[in-house]
Amino acid sequence: MTNLQTKQELNNEFKNIKYILTSTMRSKLILAMYNAPRNLEELRNELKKPSATILHGLKELETKNIINKVQKQYQLTSHGYLLATNMIKLIENWTSINNNTAFWDNHDLTDIPQELLKNMHLLKDATYITSTTSDLSNAFNKYLKLISTSSELKIIMPIYSENHIKHMLELLKKNKLKYLELIVSEDILKSIKSNKSFKEKLLGNKKVKIIPIKKNLKIFLTYSPNFISMTLFFKDGHYDDSQILIGESKNALKWGSKLYKKYNK
Amino acid sequence: MIKQYDLNNEIKFFAKSEIRLKILSELQKEPKSVKELVNKTNITYSSISSNLVKLEERDYITKKKNKYHINTLSEIYYNQLMEFKNSVDLINNFDEFWNKHNINQLSINSMQNINDLKNSELVETTPLDIYRTHNTIKENILQSNTIKAIFPYLHPDYPQLIENIIEKNGNVEIIIPKNMFNGILSEIDKGKRKAAVKNGNLKVHTTTNELNVYLIICDETMSLGLFKSDGSFDQNRLLTSSCEKSQKWANDLFNFIKDEV
Repeated sequence: MTNLQTKQELNNEFKNIKYILTSTMRSKLILAMYNAPRNLEELRNELKKPSATILHGLKELETKNIINKVQKQYQLTSHGYLLATNMIKLIENWTSINNNTAFWDNHDLTDIPQELLKNMHLLKDATYITSTTSDLSNAFNKYLKLISTSSELKIIMPIYSENHIKHMLELLKKNKLKYLELIVSEDILKSIKSNKSFKEKLLGNKKVKIIPIKKNLKIFLTYSPNFISMTLFFKDGHYDDSQILIGESKNALKWGSKLYKKYNK
Repeated sequence: MIKQYDLNNEIKFFAKSEIRLKILSELQKEPKSVKELVNKTNITYSSISSNLVKLEERDYITKKKNKYHINTLSEIYYNQLMEFKNSVDLINNFDEFWNKHNINQLSINSMQNINDLKNSELVETTPLDIYRTHNTIKENILQSNTIKAIFPYLHPDYPQLIENIIEKNGNVEIIIPKNMFNGILSEIDKGKRKAAVKNGNLKVHTTTNELNVYLIICDETMSLGLFKSDGSFDQNRLLTSSCEKSQKWANDLFNFIKDEV
């Protein structure tokens, strides 16, 4: 047997989350009241449980100051509302990853700060485009389409790809793209410089700003006023151009901007 | 349609067992063998190994040689769960600060990031020191060169405190109810006030909306005060903190409310 003291310490450490997360009844009640107060009948219909069970759960939550009863309506207290907001964040964080577990599981995430991994809920509406054996450049083509509509692009570019750079030069030439900012490692910058045409057209372009950094990053992030996109590296160190994450919601832009700023110092 | 949220079984699987959470917290630091886990946690060998089996079955951990490694996704899940745990602990710790108080004006974002306030201290008045909350704020302002504040009510000391800052060429940005505008500004020396406004050192935003939150951001500290559910301001409690995260939290909230008014 684990000794009593250890047991108690463990219980204490996690008792708060255990209380909320392990009881289906309690968690459902809290979430049901998040949008508006509810009366008993509404709760009964929503949770499909008998009154006695629901009343028991409500009583418990009331003692813990999570809800209160005003006339016949049950509502979250301020304490309860804060709790529910954070519960939903947790659920959405989880959902966001589960939208595409393979994407998050297969890739090297070491350059994504912990702070952002804890705020994955911001990416809950993101979409993932994957190349298939019948369409090997599906992800890349989708990316080209996206960047062709932007007037401003900020990119963390962790690879030296002539293909990518050629497309960027094309956009600059067409004049649709007014500003291009590139965060590149010193190694990548060296490769760009060794190509005479790129040196002249990219590095010499007034609309382009290069931000060199020491580290070789493992994130290909594109951040524009209306979308973010991200491709990553496999854990074995190889760049994966077959899967791209695209986010177009306000929250996704926020996530992308935070990630970009992290490396734009 | 109202969106339905539901806890999935994975969350429940983690949250159900303190032992599993403890194991993950240890493996997250570095891979460990069963024996090392037993030594580190004081949990019995049998409990550790049976839970390792469950975690491995569900692909949350992997055994390599004789050490267990946490998988990428489980590490993210675990950290998100701990983030939630920390938020819940904070909400519980300052229960009397939130409870029976109005939090309508906090943004969703500030509620989701409530854990940024984890190093805060709840300053309360006592029968022997009934001005403790006010004096705490006053002291912070006196030591500051820059303040940003949401003042939902007027304290007679404020005009002088603001004047002190603009006198030393500091910056003041405040959000106040419209009907307080004259009350505050007429008490500040006219010449100094006009110069400060002109130089951009004094910015005043007024609103006819109700302000339900008291917030003051000084150079090193931030303080938050709330209204009680009955509509009166709670002068006896103040949440205050001097860590960087809470400064940022307060600035985000300030900007959010500034955009709203």
